[in-house]
Amino acid sequence: MIFSMLIGNRVYEILIDDFEDITVKENINNLNEVSTILPEIFFGISLVFLVLHGILLCSSKEKNFPLIQMSIIKLGILILLFTFFLVCNNIILIESSFYNNTIVFDNLSISSKQCIIIASIICLLIMQQYLNDQKINSFEYILLILFAVFGLLLICSSNDLITAYLAIEVQSLSFYLLAAYKKDSVFSTESGLKYFILGAFSSSMFLFGSSLIYGTTGTTNFEDLKDLFFYAYPGNFFFNGFDGISQTFEINLLQFGLLFLIISLFFKLALAPFHIWSPDIYEGSLTSSTFFFAVIPKLGLFVLLTRFFQYSFYGFIDNYRYCIVAIAIFSIIIGSFTGLEQRKIKSLLAYSSIGHMGYSLLAFSSCTFEGLQALFCYLIVYIIAGLCTWSIFLSLKLKNKYIKKGNKDLSDFALLVKSNNTLTLFFATVLLSLAGFPPLIGFYAKMNVFLVAIETSMYFAAIVGILCSVISTFYYIRIIKTLYFEKSLTGKLYYPISYQNSLVIGICFFLFIFLFLNPNVLYLFSYKMSLIGYFL
Amino acid sequence: MSLDTILFYFFSGMLLFSSLMIIVVKNAIYSILFLVLSFVMATGLLFLLESEFMSLIFIVIYVGAIAVLFLFVIMMLNIKVTNSVKDLLKYFPIGNFLGFVFLIEILLIIFESFNTNPYKNNFLFNFYTNWFEKIDSISDIESLGQILYTYYVPQFLIAGIILLIAVIGSVILTLSHKNIEVKKQDTFRQVSR
Repeated sequence: MIFSMLIGNRVYEILIDDFEDITVKENINNLNEVSTILPEIFFGISLVFLVLHGILLCSSKEKNFPLIQMSIIKLGILILLFTFFLVCNNIILIESSFYNNTIVFDNLSISSKQCIIIASIICLLIMQQYLNDQKINSFEYILLILFAVFGLLLICSSNDLITAYLAIEVQSLSFYLLAAYKKDSVFSTESGLKYFILGAFSSSMFLFGSSLIYGTTGTTNFEDLKDLFFYAYPGNFFFNGFDGISQTFEINLLQFGLLFLIISLFFKLALAPFHIWSPDIYEGSLTSSTFFFAVIPKLGLFVLLTRFFQYSFYGFIDNYRYCIVAIAIFSIIIGSFTGLEQRKIKSLLAYSSIGHMGYSLLAFSSCTFEGLQALFCYLIVYIIAGLCTWSIFLSLKLKNKYIKKGNKDLSDFALLVKSNNTLTLFFATVLLSLAGFPPLIGFYAKMNVFLVAIETSMYFAAIVGILCSVISTFYYIRIIKTLYFEKSLTGKLYYPISYQNSLVIGICFFLFIFLFLNPNVLYLFSYKMSLIGYFL
Repeated sequence: MSLDTILFYFFSGMLLFSSLMIIVVKNAIYSILFLVLSFVMATGLLFLLESEFMSLIFIVIYVGAIAVLFLFVIMMLNIKVTNSVKDLLKYFPIGNFLGFVFLIEILLIIFESFNTNPYKNNFLFNFYTNWFEKIDSISDIESLGQILYTYYVPQFLIAGIILLIAVIGSVILTLSHKNIEVKKQDTFRQVSR
């Protein structure tokens, strides 16, 4: 931390030296500016130190080339905890955005960063056992996960197209590597290559869209864009009329650029017409990587989408409303119907995640405060449920000859209740919550989404969503049936779960019960998140 | 003739020559090298226009990345040198015709868009000099650097992190230990396919 403060001072001195402009100097004159991204600075510098530490220790001949991935996991968790501490205790400032307005510091960024950090800590804790079993003995795997978390933190606080693009690049570059990590497996290599090509394609679309936006408006800053298009609501004669601002901007070109941005972000979120890559990649890559892909990045990307379309281009969202609702419904349908056919748990969960992203997009498309609240509520519940299911899935290890066989069919879970009763109960409860059964928090989250859709007169979308939710309940219940009531005498045998993993799974499970009994915690948290641009 | 004009004629002449040689030369490696030469000459032209940043980016991206990539691709493919004189004779009339049409189009555009100042050698020509630009002028790269290092410090650092990830990734994907059978391409099988 001291080191990062020193770096901060140095930046500050450079800024002071180069500038003679008085107003700018006044703006810079507080060290506040550095302290706003202190968590990120700390995280980045400690990551660089972690790289050095790992390389020096790993290649030392005197210590006989030690395997350090377990200690690196613990160090990574420590760094994440420190970063969490810094995020929580950041100094409150008068202005809300810094570094030439490219970094924003508000409730949305802070709360989403907290969620992401906690989720990735849990992810790292669970992963430990699995990495040992899979004999992944290099410490770079954990480093890449930490780099991806770094990119996600930056996405949450970016207020500028350039920063957003760079942050997305940091995140997705590490994701490609995580997918392709297991070099001796054909599936992993293939999925890494697929992910790289499609991800690079969608990144280039993002870049093209932002260059069009910069070309038409002359700015990349979200707040400047908001100031420019604040009056662009439909029916405003002064904006849309014959001598309005629309004459000064190439509105059509701007909308073309916006379309590219929407598509690239939907690509990253794996929404329905752009979802083909996700089940393949989830299936092929290491399960620990899949865990990370499926659970963590969705919140960060939705934060960026929210900043972009509910804040800076709020006036234009009306032109895309139908398109976005159609995409949401389409992904709900794909998620529920295609999931029925899946025999492998991983691709089933992938399709279920596509469906859940559809529900969140339905909440997003309402463009109201309630909609945003429902969106973040839904995403947080999705993250908790995802953490729980994937950690149960990851910590179950089959007792068979093929130790490396990580990909589990549905039939592998047959009569799990006989070998591990409590874990089966937990699994069943989480699946019911994902399906949206009443005595669990998933019900509240889904109900909020539908209520918001009905309030904004999207009756048809709401009805289709509810019906598809019923259909998708079928495959969740089918898993429960396999767990409890399969008509065979014996199930597969599993190794016992480690103490640490069981503790984490237990905490996640009790969170479901607690949040149902006291959903105010979640509602307040998500309401605070939905106030974009404010700091309370 | 000033030095500028001489350099301009030199660069553009060499550019035309080398771009002609790219398609005329038979050996693919030579034509890549002529491509590099033409990029360098284009860089010289951009330097004369005082846009240093663009010209250096030209060198870095086109010569450093794209031309070298082409070179690698050509080295990996097993290309046989073929006699193309016959084809040249066959396609000469149509090619010539198309080239002539495009030349006329380009000349039309040039004569429409680039007018010389009619008051150039007249006494009405405005000899006003902007003294601000003369006294307090900084070059292209300098101004870009000032903006980059004052307003966009965190973005610069993030770009560094991206490069670090790329380095780590390339090490991970290429470094192979003895026991693991890494999936990689077999050059012999690919060439003999």
